[in-house]
Amino acid sequence: MSLRWTLAIAALAATLLAQNVNYTQDPSWRAPDVAAARKNPLEGKQNALGGGGKLFQRHCVECHGADGVGLKKAANFTMAAVQAQPDGTLFWKITNGNPDHGMPSFSQLPEGQRWQLVLFLRTLKRESPVVEAK
Amino acid sequence: MRCRFIVFSLLLLALPLRLAAQEAPYFVTYDHHLEEPGNLEFSPALTLGVPHSDQRFTFAPYAELEYGITARWTAELYLEGQSTAGDSAIFTGFRLENRFRPLKREHRINPILYVEYEGINEGTRIQKEVVGHAPGFDVRNAELRRTPAREIETKLILSSTVKDWNISENFIFEKNLSASEGVEFGFSFGFYRPLATLASAGKCRFCRENFTAGAEFYGGLGSTQSFGLQDTAHYAAPVLSWQFSDNVTMRFSPAIGLTHESNPVLLRFSTSYEVRGVRDKLARLWGGR
Repeated sequence: MSLRWTLAIAALAATLLAQNVNYTQDPSWRAPDVAAARKNPLEGKQNALGGGGKLFQRHCVECHGADGVGLKKAANFTMAAVQAQPDGTLFWKITNGNPDHGMPSFSQLPEGQRWQLVLFLRTLKRESPVVEAK
Repeated sequence: MRCRFIVFSLLLLALPLRLAAQEAPYFVTYDHHLEEPGNLEFSPALTLGVPHSDQRFTFAPYAELEYGITARWTAELYLEGQSTAGDSAIFTGFRLENRFRPLKREHRINPILYVEYEGINEGTRIQKEVVGHAPGFDVRNAELRRTPAREIETKLILSSTVKDWNISENFIFEKNLSASEGVEFGFSFGFYRPLATLASAGKCRFCRENFTAGAEFYGGLGSTQSFGLQDTAHYAAPVLSWQFSDNVTMRFSPAIGLTHESNPVLLRFSTSYEVRGVRDKLARLWGGR
């Protein structure tokens, strides 16, 4: 095996092993007031909720867990501190992510789908039964 | 040999793995969305070059491994080959690519910095980017594979999201370290939009939300030795992606050549399989948390 191939394989192995698991809540991760004030256009639309559940399963469970309690150091959606945040703030956080703390941006999802996710996150309150995606 | 090579490439494209991918439908243009950290995406792909009447078909499969190192850094490895009708099938090399996101938040225009090392030879026909002047297609593979093309390619990627539309522009600069060709230039521009913007509750294969459509345009702009549009290849290409399941996305693009130096048509196919949480699986394998 040539040196070039050895170096290429070593570089690939190094990238696979790189870790980014030290998630901590970032106090600077705050939505601007204008963004936080936005209302969920899907509020009260129960038919949009199932789609939110499906999107949650597809994009969120890897880090936040199927019940939203947060695996590793990802946010626990059942916590009052999370649920107290306005819809606009949650939407902004989904849109922008917090890349230095491991949360990717989900701006590739259409705006409606990000609002569907916010709608679903509201069902993860501890006192509320979790709504399963159909 | 060549027949087995083609069959193997087609099988990879059709592999029914149950391995999400909300993939951009572009083949050449990049947007500002990086791979999710810890996820690995495997994409067998194919570029079929339909030639002018005096030339031969080219069949160029490649495999792409994309890994999200952090939320701001994605790395990719490409392995590529090529088969020309009436000629041989050859391995044309590898590419190591890195994309970095310098800004933390979403902006009107989101820049991404792209750096790639290409350890390929002149037989490459995947046309993952179109730069400089159009290559000749009348040289035998045996000769092409003996001509190395070790290249450094950089791109400035600018990408915006406007009312569920993605609009991306890429500016390409490529330096061949194996030959004195100056710095070659190229561009690509594209846009796409999902056909539906709300997700339905049930699982469905053919819902509009699973399809994304758009177009991309790309071409060469000459080099520092001869800048301009003369003898350059340019393409206009509708693009379509279909999210087949949570983890599998298929893409298709028929590119139409706009200049005499372009292939009249390029047909591109790809299937992406996303494996989630590869980092955690590896960490567990080696006794980590």
